[in-house]
Amino acid sequence: MSAPTHLALDGLAAQAGTLRIFRQVFAVLAREAGAMIGDLDHLDTDEAILAAFAGAGTDGLTLEQVAAACRPADERLVARRFELLRSYGAITRVVDRPHERYHRAAFAPYVMLLFLRRMAAQGGQSELHQLLTLEGIGIRSPEAAAPDARASLRRLVTVFRLMANQLSGMASTSPVEELRENAELLWGNRQLIQQAQDVHAVVLARWPDLDRECTALRTALGAYGDASDAAAARLIEQAGATRALGLLPVETWRTFARTADVDQLAAVLDGLLFDAPAPWFSPQAIGAALASSEQAAPVRTPPPRPVTGTDGTDPADADRRDGDDAPDLRTLVAGLLAGRDEITLDDLMGTGDGWPAGRRLLARLTAAHHHPDVEAELVWGDGLQVDPDAPVPWVSEGVLRAGPRSAPPPAPDGGSAR
Amino acid sequence: MTVAADALWWARARARGPLRVPAGTVAPEGLARLVEPDGRDVWILPVPPEQAGGGAIEEFGLSGTPPEQPNDTARLLAAVVRCCWTDPTAAIWPGADVPWDAVTSVFRHYADRDESAFLRAAVAAVRRLHGAGWVLWDERGRRVRLGPRVAGWSAADLTVLRELYRQMPGPREGRPRDQPQDRPRDQLLEPREGDAG
Repeated sequence: MSAPTHLALDGLAAQAGTLRIFRQVFAVLAREAGAMIGDLDHLDTDEAILAAFAGAGTDGLTLEQVAAACRPADERLVARRFELLRSYGAITRVVDRPHERYHRAAFAPYVMLLFLRRMAAQGGQSELHQLLTLEGIGIRSPEAAAPDARASLRRLVTVFRLMANQLSGMASTSPVEELRENAELLWGNRQLIQQAQDVHAVVLARWPDLDRECTALRTALGAYGDASDAAAARLIEQAGATRALGLLPVETWRTFARTADVDQLAAVLDGLLFDAPAPWFSPQAIGAALASSEQAAPVRTPPPRPVTGTDGTDPADADRRDGDDAPDLRTLVAGLLAGRDEITLDDLMGTGDGWPAGRRLLARLTAAHHHPDVEAELVWGDGLQVDPDAPVPWVSEGVLRAGPRSAPPPAPDGGSAR
Repeated sequence: MTVAADALWWARARARGPLRVPAGTVAPEGLARLVEPDGRDVWILPVPPEQAGGGAIEEFGLSGTPPEQPNDTARLLAAVVRCCWTDPTAAIWPGADVPWDAVTSVFRHYADRDESAFLRAAVAAVRRLHGAGWVLWDERGRRVRLGPRVAGWSAADLTVLRELYRQMPGPREGRPRDQPQDRPRDQLLEPREGDAG
């Protein structure tokens, strides 16, 4: 038998469909039932054999030469097909004598093969068109007589009846897959019917007495039209659910896409509702996205601060300026000195309301003393003044003095206000 | 308002996202109405209950409608929120109308790449967000606003967003330091940034 097959299921189905057409075509020629080829490889081998003969010229080929020419094919298979073709007369001996080894091939089998392939691929549409054209030419010729027209009409009636029967049977009962395989029967049915109607009109005009046959043709055409409509309706109904784009030939789709206007193209999607693009961004996802980003530099989280600096200055400058209290201290010192050159600490502490105020004042004076931009200094003495009635009972001797600081800072360990 | 009209409104909102209609339009219950700042138009936005909102998809472990480049898109949305949400203590809609450069200055903190890749990522993200109604982008005028979909964030979501808002750098600090050619334009925009934020 043939080599182990590598086809998937749908490939096998396609092969089966092709073989079915062949079987139907050859049914009228078969000598006995069950003698039909069972594998498409056989056909390929036949084709290769015939091609080898075509290239061989008039001398013919021996079986061994044929097998060598069909090299990739299995040698035993080639031999078997060779014998079969010879038994049917497709291959004959060059000289009819015993032990003649050279053979030549007839051309008719190859033409038949070509026809079969096209029949399987296109469902015999073009053959039907040709048939109709030929019938049309036949009945229009001046030599045509009424019997010719009657025969022509009968052939057409038979063809369309058979097609209508097959289609209506499939449209009503068969599984939709079978209908889809035979969808090529539906293609171009309008043109077929139109052509047949032309033939019908010519016949009716030339031989009015053939009206019975013409009526038969009309009804056959009507039946074919109805059957193809029903089958197409079922296919379209199924196609709407399955989006089977293979129902029409590819070129038909392309033609539609190129020639359709916007409304027609949009009508393809009638009845479908598309959601607006609505991705949802949860704040958690946003946070994760931010955290996972590759940042140029770590972003410091600034502490919350009062809204200042609306004048457009750099916040860093504002920081520095805020920290710089020189004008503040100058104002303080000038206020305390009030024009004098110096003032004792005892006098200053006496004006406050006790320890807390004294402490604050002393802190600011110390800051003024240490600030490089403030021209004031605190000079400490050794003594300690005690006055139990004063707000601050004990005060170290010290003097706040205006002007630049004297070079050696006095020892600050003379005691604080405490 | 009949049942059919209600269904039609919901179908429209589903098919086209947030709808912008004149202010006088009558819309059915359950659809939030967001008034445009100029008061002439209203956005119609379906706002389901919180437990059935957009966040529910994540809770069920489903993928929803993932945007392309989800991280960049989310970062740009965060940048827009940072720039347009004028007062984080108040409602997020409608927000302010800010220059596109302000948004990119924030976005740059989270997508520091070379200039062309950065701009491409930013424009792609804002287009996606604009298409989905999260952001309104005036491409010609180079202005950005928050889109009506932000009104779908619940109060809990906004709390999380406020925290993010606090952590993110503002548009002013995001000025590109290493690109002097950008500086004059940024300075020109500063008064408007000040107005916006």
